[in-house]
Amino acid sequence: MSSDQASRTHVTAEQPPAEPAPARRAGAQRRQRAPFRARLRRDWPLLVMVAPGALLLLVFHYLPVLGNVVAFQDYNPYLGDSSLQALLGSPWIGLDNFRDLFADPAFWDALWNTLSITAFQLVFFFPLPIALAIILDSILSRRLRGFVQTVVYLPHFFSWVLVVTFFVQMLGGAGLLAQKLRDAGIQPPDIMTNPDTFIVLVTAESVWKDIGWGTIVFLAALSAIDTNLYEAAAVDGADRWRRLWHITLPGLRPVIVLLLILRLGDALSVGFEQFLLQRDAVGRQAAEVLDTFVYYQSIATGDYGFGAAAGLFKAAVGLVLILAANKFAHVLGERGVYSRS
Amino acid sequence: MTNPSGATADRRTFLSLVGLGAVAVAGTGLLGGCGDKATRSGATQNLDKLAALLPDQKPLTLDIPKPDIISTRPVADGYTKFPASLVDAIADKPGAGGAAIRAMTPVWGPAPPSGANNSYLTAINAELGTPVEFSTQDGLTYGDKLGALLAARDVPDLLCVPGWEVAKLPRFGDAVAALFEDLTPYLQGGAVSAYPMLGTFPAGSWRNSCWNQKLMAVPNPTDGPFPWVLFHRKDLVSKAGLTYPKTIDELFTIGKQVTDPDKGVWAFSDIFAMVQMLHKVPGTKDGWRRKADGTPEFKYETPEYRQAVEFMAKVYKAGLVHPDIVASKGADAQQLLKSGKILFHQDGMGMWQLMQAEQQKVTPGFDVQPVPLFSATGGDPLAWGDDEPISYTFVKKGLGKARVEELLRVMNWCSAPFGTREFDLREFGVEGKHNTRTADGPVKTELGFKEIANQYFFISGRSPVVQPTPQTPNYVRDMLGYSNTTVKFLEKDPWDGLKFEMPAKYKAGLAPTDDKITDIVRGRRPLTDLDAVVIQWRAAGGDEARQLLATALSDAGR
Repeated sequence: MSSDQASRTHVTAEQPPAEPAPARRAGAQRRQRAPFRARLRRDWPLLVMVAPGALLLLVFHYLPVLGNVVAFQDYNPYLGDSSLQALLGSPWIGLDNFRDLFADPAFWDALWNTLSITAFQLVFFFPLPIALAIILDSILSRRLRGFVQTVVYLPHFFSWVLVVTFFVQMLGGAGLLAQKLRDAGIQPPDIMTNPDTFIVLVTAESVWKDIGWGTIVFLAALSAIDTNLYEAAAVDGADRWRRLWHITLPGLRPVIVLLLILRLGDALSVGFEQFLLQRDAVGRQAAEVLDTFVYYQSIATGDYGFGAAAGLFKAAVGLVLILAANKFAHVLGERGVYSRS
Repeated sequence: MTNPSGATADRRTFLSLVGLGAVAVAGTGLLGGCGDKATRSGATQNLDKLAALLPDQKPLTLDIPKPDIISTRPVADGYTKFPASLVDAIADKPGAGGAAIRAMTPVWGPAPPSGANNSYLTAINAELGTPVEFSTQDGLTYGDKLGALLAARDVPDLLCVPGWEVAKLPRFGDAVAALFEDLTPYLQGGAVSAYPMLGTFPAGSWRNSCWNQKLMAVPNPTDGPFPWVLFHRKDLVSKAGLTYPKTIDELFTIGKQVTDPDKGVWAFSDIFAMVQMLHKVPGTKDGWRRKADGTPEFKYETPEYRQAVEFMAKVYKAGLVHPDIVASKGADAQQLLKSGKILFHQDGMGMWQLMQAEQQKVTPGFDVQPVPLFSATGGDPLAWGDDEPISYTFVKKGLGKARVEELLRVMNWCSAPFGTREFDLREFGVEGKHNTRTADGPVKTELGFKEIANQYFFISGRSPVVQPTPQTPNYVRDMLGYSNTTVKFLEKDPWDGLKFEMPAKYKAGLAPTDDKITDIVRGRRPLTDLDAVVIQWRAAGGDEARQLLATALSDAGR
């Protein structure tokens, strides 16, 4: 969906019968909209459809947010007769948890590792599903395309234990590659246990697991690009690369920007199980990320306030990144994740 | 993928952070009412003073034959022959036919079918009168599950807490007080006579079931004290023309001889715990001992530990540990031992009989045996171990007197000892279905292996004995031979009878220190770093724990 297409649908949803009006007029009209009852009568099927999703959001996203107050408490889950009493009864300690967090050198190590992995994956992982989607889209045989899609989606549903085991069986010291090399008289390289190249290994694992899954959104966006554009360009003598550069990529741009912003919001989450499993293999220095840090320092020791403080920090950084990236997208003329109407 | 609404949630949390943060920075006076973060400095419980709480111990008057092998405690006695006839121990149905009992227990390996899909559960539940519904959880991650369950205060009617998880659970004393029923009024002194099977348990196991000066759980007494045994594939080691190692140098040389990457064979799993034990590193209370001057000393600080680290680093450097185990925590070391990809493996004693019985059907001549304990540094060897129960069964708080009594009767039924019909059904399932009778006793069928996974065992206890199994006729003699030899070298516990809740800082400091030592053992840091690591550990709660243990000794007048 290109940006002006999007704003057009936006406006038509507001006032169905009218002609596409400039955004400013639509805003002025909204102030004198129909009374609440009339709108309720008109929109109730839509509201009913939204209700389950909204309820899920409320129960699983908004209510737990309240639990973040334990970041400012010395939280003891066993106080009182219920969890609520424990929450109310735990002593308030101000910013002690944050002070402890920022004073812990292990926290900064974990943060640095997390950011390095995010940056690395942004460069070496993020573009790959786009490329794969474009290749898939160019397969003309529907059956072949369906088959390839199924094959590349599948690893997404494997657990990390399986993915890591698969890599160990293929590339580990007792794996297929090492055995073949030994048969040929070559000393196999150390792939699975080298802390220096760990970042490449985890990225490779992530790519193998999720590259296919990542193509779904891009494929949908590709199918929305008007094929007439390609035909017209082809008639005008544009070759494959020019068509890719001038039609396909601009068509994908809004989606790419959207996903990039969302990924940035998640910059401090790079996964948990994958790192926990391989922690001993490469050591804490290489494999400690924020989520494993929280696990060892908070969940394992029962210091939930400390963990909540780390979680809040993550959320704050994520929000700042999202806002900044969104602003930047607006500067570039994209809609981004959201914009003021 | 996060949706835009997730971003909205993030904004919320951010605003609360900024808002409250601003308040805190702006007016420290406003926060004057807030306390400082408490340091949880740990607690000591002197179990010797709790004798009055314990149930009276009384043997059963049933006609069960005497054991064939009498052991040194805490090793259990053993039977080499299956009794010719079984006795009925309990006449009445324990259940009052009330609501189903929810229980959570650990299981290792594939999870058994649950509910009505499991004919073993159905058969026992029919005997009990009130059905027990099990939620079986992976034993390897059971501690994580427990931590979450306890903190959420969402416990089932009966909860199994394995002994080795207790020390890892933060604020466990608080959790016990908040979530579980005080069993003292039901079991103290003569009251236990309503549950005669529970009345046979050794006093030591009851003593360990006390928290906050109350009897809080039903123990599952241990049948063997050793946390670790070094197993080896005797058949494969013999085939290589070798015998088990008797010195630490032999362990290394044999390891080198049997490692053959071209054939996909390596010598070891991660045997660091056993290497420590062979070097006589202290193991009491997770690694404490008393120095000659009376002060406590942790394993990290001892020269023995340094030697063990040095040896293990040598083993890793020589590439004698299977690469799968080096590369991922998800590797299945037992499977590697079964398939002969590794020849030495450290595990609990419980692995032995099960693996032997199962694998000998697949691999002819399969023979897994423990390596007899030796000392790496001369003199007598040292065996880690204690007589603390295998597991504890806790009863949920606030179920009412009648229900608690019903639950205790169910546990009593499940605790019937070897030689009774109840035990036989609980252990082997229904004859002709889960087991076939032979002259040497019942043999579990495929269905039996699939459906029976110690479910009822983990919500009960029993006076432990080692029982014969027709598939592994030599097991009882071999196992008790090893155990009764090794038990002579059992480490003395200076804090025997004292139960500790270790300081939170110390608990939090252990994992980072272990990470650093793993770095040294695996050659990512030089051995000379160990001194610095120990100094960091002392600052990260080590000295605090030492203080607690030292005070406990002086308070107990030792």
